[in-house]
Amino acid sequence: MKPAQFEQHEPETVEEAVSLLESLDDRAVLSGGQSMVPMLRFRLAVPETIIDINRIESLDYLEEDDGWLTIGALARHADVEHSELIAEHYGSFADTAPLVADPQIRNRGTVAGAIAQADPKGDWGSVLLAHEGEVVAQGPDGERVIPADEFFLLPYDTTLDENELLTELRVPTPAPREGSAYHKLKRKVGDYAMAGSAARLVLDDEGRIEQAGIGLTAVDITNVRATDAEDHLEGERPSSELFKRAGELAAEQSNPESDEHGDVEYKERMVNVLTQRALGDAAERAGLVKQRVSQ
Amino acid sequence: MTNTREITLTVNGTEHTIDVEPRQLLVHAIREELDMTGTHIGCDTGNCGACTVLKDGEPIKSCLMFATQADGSELMTVEGMEDLPEARGDLHPLQEGFREEHGLQCGYCTPGMLMSGKALLDENPDPSEEEIREAISGNLCRCTGYQNIVRSIEYAAEELEEVAAADGGTTVASGTDTSSADAPSAFDSEFDCGVENCCGGPTTDRNHDADTGGEHK
Repeated sequence: MKPAQFEQHEPETVEEAVSLLESLDDRAVLSGGQSMVPMLRFRLAVPETIIDINRIESLDYLEEDDGWLTIGALARHADVEHSELIAEHYGSFADTAPLVADPQIRNRGTVAGAIAQADPKGDWGSVLLAHEGEVVAQGPDGERVIPADEFFLLPYDTTLDENELLTELRVPTPAPREGSAYHKLKRKVGDYAMAGSAARLVLDDEGRIEQAGIGLTAVDITNVRATDAEDHLEGERPSSELFKRAGELAAEQSNPESDEHGDVEYKERMVNVLTQRALGDAAERAGLVKQRVSQ
Repeated sequence: MTNTREITLTVNGTEHTIDVEPRQLLVHAIREELDMTGTHIGCDTGNCGACTVLKDGEPIKSCLMFATQADGSELMTVEGMEDLPEARGDLHPLQEGFREEHGLQCGYCTPGMLMSGKALLDENPDPSEEEIREAISGNLCRCTGYQNIVRSIEYAAEELEEVAAADGGTTVASGTDTSSADAPSAFDSEFDCGVENCCGGPTTDRNHDADTGGEHK
């Protein structure tokens, strides 16, 4: 099916894009398009105007900058997947990128676009939450920084303002003893998650958990943080017992729906297991040897 | 047809300038404006990968992108494969692999599979089975169960290695001769793929095959 007719704009700067957002009424922003184009084709979205941001070269970056890993709005999933920086220092991002859809989709789809899409089954939201990341938006009045915690409202709905363009995602660069991971359960290659869990652990000099972040996929109306589990972890030494309890707490706090992939009980168990695995990997990557974790 | 825009696409090395509506999908531009129907539309929803083409060397689904977004890009479609140097004027080693290893039955997914296979071998000339399966994970095949597609790509990897070795050595000419003696005759007359129950099974009318030049349906 073909999309309905629309007017098209291809701004080359962020300022141009923002002024288009401000001046046009019925419009949609197109970035990677891997969700947007099907929505247009099924006429779930019928905007009069499309603002295609793919020619704004200044948004195409993935780099560390002044204590942050910054991901420009045009960085594709494949850019993350193939980045050496990511492979070396950002375990959860390295885990997630190859699990998003399939190779063709990853070549076009953008990480920021996936966040803006705010599909509760999307993987990146959990990673952003676990890292206590931020969303940077550019609007008519300038830049606004939105903590990941305050970004997701409802499925496909965020606190991004009507006239704002999401320009960047960022997460703090890793502490000396930090590790992160993402585990996702899906029925087959390329699927959305049935459940997923992102974990990030920062250890202090004595090997205690100084900071814990856990983000869950596909088990609530948005990606959510498992705050009870995080609280339980902080101040403790990593151990399989500790992670087991954290898994239980994450499952208790999750709110999955029964569907063709499984009932509520099954999904809660999956949250438990996936969270334990993500925590195990995160702890290992934070510098502990695995044996010590499983004691 | 209001509101059209001129774009330039370089497809398989040839530059085309066409007028498209902003809403026109790249796959429709390729098939309908350029009359290159080798790129297939399968699911029409971005799932199946039959419409996969290479954009600036990377595999993308041409049903999930507007033609205007490819303005100024280099595209490659299945039609361009035989013009590549490694095809040596005949079938590309990947296409040959699909024929030799029976990597297709109905053939609908094949152009997309070839493009994903091409992108993989360009990056990684000696892939493991797992890497091949990952590379074609965005391409659905409802006939083969993928086993033979994996073998086809493995075949091509080996063949390409031989081509590279031959090109790097002093026996380019003889290498070329040997392979062209092996391969092309299959399509000249009656085509027998050598696999039982292929091409529609035991009831296949052999004359019909011959009449259509042995097109592998």
